[in-house]
Amino acid sequence: MTSLGVEGARKHFGGVQALDGVDLEARDGELLVVVGPSGCGKSTLLRCIAGLETLDEGTIRIAGRDVTRERPAARNVSMVFQSYALFPHFTVSENIGFGLVVREVRKSEVVSRVAASAELVGVSHLLARRPFELSGGERQRVALARALVREPDAFLLDEPLSNLDAGMRTEMRTELRRLHRRVGATMVHVTHDQVEAMTLGDRIAVLDAGRVRQVGEPDELYRRPRDRFVAGFLGSPRMNFLEPARAAAFFPVPDGSILGIRPEHVRLAGDGVASRVELVELAGSDAYVHLDGGLVARVPAEERPREGAHVHLRISIGDAHRFDGQTGERLAWT
Amino acid sequence: MRAGERSWGGWRQPAAIAVAVAFLLPFWYLASGSLREPGAPPPRAPELLPRPLSVESYDRAFELVDLGRYTVNSLAVAALTVPPAVLFASWAGFAIFLLTGRARAVLIGLSFAALMVPATALLVPRFAIFRALGLTDTWAPLVAPALLGLSPFYVLLFYWSFRRLPRELFEAARLEGMAPLAAWRRLAMPLVRPVTVAVGLLAFIASWGNFLDPLIYLFDSDLYTLPLGLRSLAVLDRTNYPILLAAAVVSTAPVVLVFAVAQRFFLHEDRGAGWLGR
Repeated sequence: MTSLGVEGARKHFGGVQALDGVDLEARDGELLVVVGPSGCGKSTLLRCIAGLETLDEGTIRIAGRDVTRERPAARNVSMVFQSYALFPHFTVSENIGFGLVVREVRKSEVVSRVAASAELVGVSHLLARRPFELSGGERQRVALARALVREPDAFLLDEPLSNLDAGMRTEMRTELRRLHRRVGATMVHVTHDQVEAMTLGDRIAVLDAGRVRQVGEPDELYRRPRDRFVAGFLGSPRMNFLEPARAAAFFPVPDGSILGIRPEHVRLAGDGVASRVELVELAGSDAYVHLDGGLVARVPAEERPREGAHVHLRISIGDAHRFDGQTGERLAWT
Repeated sequence: MRAGERSWGGWRQPAAIAVAVAFLLPFWYLASGSLREPGAPPPRAPELLPRPLSVESYDRAFELVDLGRYTVNSLAVAALTVPPAVLFASWAGFAIFLLTGRARAVLIGLSFAALMVPATALLVPRFAIFRALGLTDTWAPLVAPALLGLSPFYVLLFYWSFRRLPRELFEAARLEGMAPLAAWRRLAMPLVRPVTVAVGLLAFIASWGNFLDPLIYLFDSDLYTLPLGLRSLAVLDRTNYPILLAAAVVSTAPVVLVFAVAQRFFLHEDRGAGWLGR
């Protein structure tokens, strides 16, 4: 069952086409991550789904209803904002129960649902505090509790982890994943962080210049990117792209196409294509080896070469991707 | 603390004292002058306190004109003016804040344009309108501008204050179905309390010190406000400075009192509001 669907969505601001025919669906109970670079239209898409912006063209369906022309409140979605949008003069309890109070839910029910929602995200001990007395992670949890309390048809999360420091972001990512498993709700999570997208999403939609480039499971997008943009956007360090002339050193690549190879598939071997190590970045268990000509290899930290060392490289054709030099579309090996 | 901050902190206190003294000296002259005996000439040199000290000028000022009634009238006019001025200025400011694009730009432009029009340029048309409505010799012309927020400046002040608040706060409220009026009351106004108090204070001072409008619209002396009372006193006994200064003290005291009460609200920003939802 489709819980949330966007069809042919177009939206422009002045001369800028923010959404250019977006088709997207989030299945019932799915956590769909929309990822893309800054300015690709992902936040606009989320705001259009919420009803905070109106579409120029297209349709939005939530829980089987066409809500394209509905007011935001009538769409029955909850949104977690990047800044959390907690009301500074309200206590945590008042913030969580805000939506229920506005909808004139009975006070006793508000109290019990606020307690349940706070319990779910672990902020029960903070209910009497005000937002400025909370840490970033606690504010994030309160914002999630406020979204959860109403039991909406869909949750929209607009880069909710981007204001947290690196450690807290990793922790909250896991929390968010657990929370999604527990409540089983449909969630659309927008982020520019591809690591966040890969680790959080049941499926990922990659957006660029207002268009959906590819939708699929994280593994599928990583292993079989539909085009050069998706291939380059997902993965850290990013995929290496080689022109046919350079790629020919490894194996023949047809003219007019580009070879793509992930850094972990560039192997340092006893024989192969000779290269020189320009720079080595240690990243915990792995090391990123920057080779002459811009190629990057990812190797276990204990196997990293010295800077300036001469090495030999091997690439297996089975690991390599081929893209059209003009359109960037994925091509099959012939 | 950085070196720059320390040096600024070092200069700030003497500078503040100097400014305070410059502003307090006229008040001191006013207060000490009002305590001279009626009919006494102004002092030739600055004096700390007059000798002999006398409060007789106050008695004489209240005998010559009905300062008590005028004070009550001024308070009544201010009480009728300030709440609607704050209400309508904040509504207008909030409406501009909620608008987007061209509509907002046009309204801000119009507010600035209205701010540039000298009040005296509107005296004649305003008088003609109020006379046609049969509202001259009433307080209505004095209070009516409050229905437009009293001044475009107050509207813009509220707009700028609302603009400082994260827009997401109001979007979150919209998602929950909160109406704009409720968002104004429950979210916007509590977060701009210092500005509300400041606008209220400015509106009070504007109403309290308004001389021109009462002079034009009020004919019945029972309706006179304090500035007209001071004017009457100046006409009755032009050179009797102690009496004039005593009346001036009576007219200044409420403003000082209101400022003293109000200042703690706009000089100390509430921490919750200051955090602004981030």
